[in-house]
Amino acid sequence: MPANVSPASPLSASARPQLVLELQADTAYLPVAAAAAENAAQVYGLDRGGALRLALAVEEFFAYLCRHAGREEPIRLTLAHGGTFASADFRFRAGEVSLRALNFAASVDLSSMDADNGDEAELGLLVAGRTTDRCGLTRSGPDVFHLNAEVDREYPEAEPISTPQHLAAPLRLEPQPAAGALRHAALLAAGRYPARLRPSSFSRPERFADMVAWGQYQALLALDAAGRPAGLICWRASGRRAVVFSGPYCFDPALAVETARLLTEGFLSRVARTEALCAFSERPTADLPRGWFENLGSLTLHGAPADAENGEGPEQSEGVDQPAYYRHLREDAGAAIWAHPDLFPFLRREYDRLAFSRDLLPAEPTDHTRLAAHSLLATSLDRLRGLAVLRPLLDGQDFAANLRAHVEAIQAQGVGDILLHLDLSEPWQGAQAPALAACGFAPRLVLPHAGASDILVCQHVPGHS
Amino acid sequence: MCPAIAELVPDYIRAFEAYTPSRPDPVLMRQYGVDHLHRLNNNENALGPPADARAVIEAFEPPRSAIYPSGDCYALRLALSERFGKDPERFLVGNGSCEVIASVIKAFCEKGDNIITADKTFAVYEWVAEFSGFEARLIPLSNWGFDPEAMLAAMDARTKILFVCNPNNPTGTWWDKGTMERFLRGVAGRAIVVIDEAYCEYVDDEAFPNGMELMERHPNVVVFRTFSKMYALAGLRVGYVCGQRDVVDYIRRTHIVYSVNSLGQPAAAAALADDAGHILATRRMVAEAKELLLPAFDALGLKYVSGAGNFVMVETPASDSLIYRQLMRRGVMVRTMTGFRFPNWIRVSLVQLPAMRDFLAAFGEVLQAVSTGPA
Ligand SMILES: Cc1ncc(COP(=O)(O)O)c(C=O)c1O
Repeated sequence: MPANVSPASPLSASARPQLVLELQADTAYLPVAAAAAENAAQVYGLDRGGALRLALAVEEFFAYLCRHAGREEPIRLTLAHGGTFASADFRFRAGEVSLRALNFAASVDLSSMDADNGDEAELGLLVAGRTTDRCGLTRSGPDVFHLNAEVDREYPEAEPISTPQHLAAPLRLEPQPAAGALRHAALLAAGRYPARLRPSSFSRPERFADMVAWGQYQALLALDAAGRPAGLICWRASGRRAVVFSGPYCFDPALAVETARLLTEGFLSRVARTEALCAFSERPTADLPRGWFENLGSLTLHGAPADAENGEGPEQSEGVDQPAYYRHLREDAGAAIWAHPDLFPFLRREYDRLAFSRDLLPAEPTDHTRLAAHSLLATSLDRLRGLAVLRPLLDGQDFAANLRAHVEAIQAQGVGDILLHLDLSEPWQGAQAPALAACGFAPRLVLPHAGASDILVCQHVPGHS
Repeated sequence: MCPAIAELVPDYIRAFEAYTPSRPDPVLMRQYGVDHLHRLNNNENALGPPADARAVIEAFEPPRSAIYPSGDCYALRLALSERFGKDPERFLVGNGSCEVIASVIKAFCEKGDNIITADKTFAVYEWVAEFSGFEARLIPLSNWGFDPEAMLAAMDARTKILFVCNPNNPTGTWWDKGTMERFLRGVAGRAIVVIDEAYCEYVDDEAFPNGMELMERHPNVVVFRTFSKMYALAGLRVGYVCGQRDVVDYIRRTHIVYSVNSLGQPAAAAALADDAGHILATRRMVAEAKELLLPAFDALGLKYVSGAGNFVMVETPASDSLIYRQLMRRGVMVRTMTGFRFPNWIRVSLVQLPAMRDFLAAFGEVLQAVSTGPA
């Protein structure tokens, strides 16, 4: 394809190498699952230590599922090459009785966690997933769940380039940057922007280039008149309907305004005719051009435990306000959302400020006597970023207690930033406001169209539990 | 386990995003809490259909709805034949020109083939190619217009169709006779050239190339025209393709018969019969709207692109989707241009002055709101 031809919407990620096993929910197969995971992980480029970490998570997840998943159908284990990581995904059906066990905080007896008397059988999923870099639970059908684990490949760290760049206009876009150019640009960005404003892979540039090659990230490069890198923006899919971007990164402050504009415009043109409905900032830089995005508010993030110095736990460190920017890529047709009246003042203010037409429908908590005993929360945990995101999957009488148990269990893992996403298309979710408030969650952002309708992001206020 | 539905779907369909048309006006009006809505989003002709077409529509008798229409638009093709002095077999009528876009692509492309068009133009050429599994090569506009050299440079042995939107929606640029002639010589009959003339009746310029003439010298040229724009019959969905007889014969093989309804066919034929006054009145309305809007954009310090056609594109100091929502709250519907790969631009249809004044008043308020509001 000639260089001046911009690709249309990216073709679906080409088929990735994967290994699929269907296993009876029987612990007799534990060695099979673990051996397959270890072997596949090595084929997918993990070193021995990484492969063992994945194998261990697979073993613990599988043992756990054998105890709790429905038995009518086999469990499907998919081991896949993610490019820069290897992943294991368990797909299974859960019978009514066992749903409770899918709560990451289930069965975790905090008092006995560090004691040796911890009965293995009672370890929760949160602990079972401790050897992973990321793990989580998702639901893909009324009764179909996925439990997944990811372990990253190792990549060498490289020295950021902080020598000043003196570039020459005019600038142009490189829509399909080669790996070498991406590595160079990542190091230039690492040399000019603090760690929290860039993907961690920028300081492991081969990892970043691989992420682009494998479609985990998409990237656009700005080049100066002499073909030198002048700037970078990158983005990734977040669910089916949204993209989240990092940047723009501009390498010569004298050309920053033009660079940022070129990259932002190029990025939006690239995502405009795809299935993405909206773009959210993940790590916006101060170079983001004014007037191109709407400010949704901000989150206070504390980062990974390793970022907190002097032995301070993440919950004590001060935290950085990270603004969230948004852009709708379509024309909004208005919508109705469900929320507890306690949330109305916050929602009205935000919707009015953002000029979104929404009918706010009042949702009250369901009468306890009509609820199942146990609720279910999905947890996704990014240990490297020190971030946990909770999503309510099923309502239950124990919702408030379950939520509190999750917060405690996640904090006990050293993860300080805890967000909770409420999908406001579901009355029962919108109705949870009192339980959330009691547990220390405060509404922070509305993400329009980020779920089945809008998502309300609540953040756990550190120090409160 | 039986396969998930998604596993039955080809990759290029799974990756493709269905177009979401806007909701019906009453729904939007309720959502946005307004009691009127100026439709400035679809380049419709606000004057309504020409008098003769209007008469045909009014005279339509409900019992005729029970009877199939002419399957190949027999009378309408005769009317087109008379109008353009060509054999009626050289016209193929579709349910809007959108339908004939699909027919042409189906007729000429097979697995591995590609089509070439611009990145910032009417989206349907690109969409139909992609959801049919063909590569769409999108050439960046140059100076707001289609770039003939770059399109030629992108051709290869698998290029089957080049789509040229003349004048272009949404920039209103067009190739003059010389540019078009050079381009067609460059293509040298190696691929089909579709000239989409959806807005040609809005151009009043000697230098504008008439595709109906070009196809006589260049047998690989086919022309699309529509009754949706100048003729104000968008709701009845009538458009057509015209080309050399053998070319149209191939396209007809892939085309659904009976796709054009019993009311649309005679209304379109009647619209052609006496259109001179209607065209003049429409052009006057468009010119007056421009005389009002363009100086107002200048005064606001806004960049705009205004060429041929009943629309103008203006750059906004905030996200076009935010401007859209703010304008909707004031009863004005425009088109956001992010989907045309012009982020932070809106396109406004040019209609009668009262609606244009309402638009300007609302637009002024919105600009004020977004400049004083948070970043
Ligand atoms: C350039 C162009 N071609 C074709 C069409 C489709 O018109 P029709 O209503 O005939 O399908 C449009 C409508 O917006 C258009 O702008």
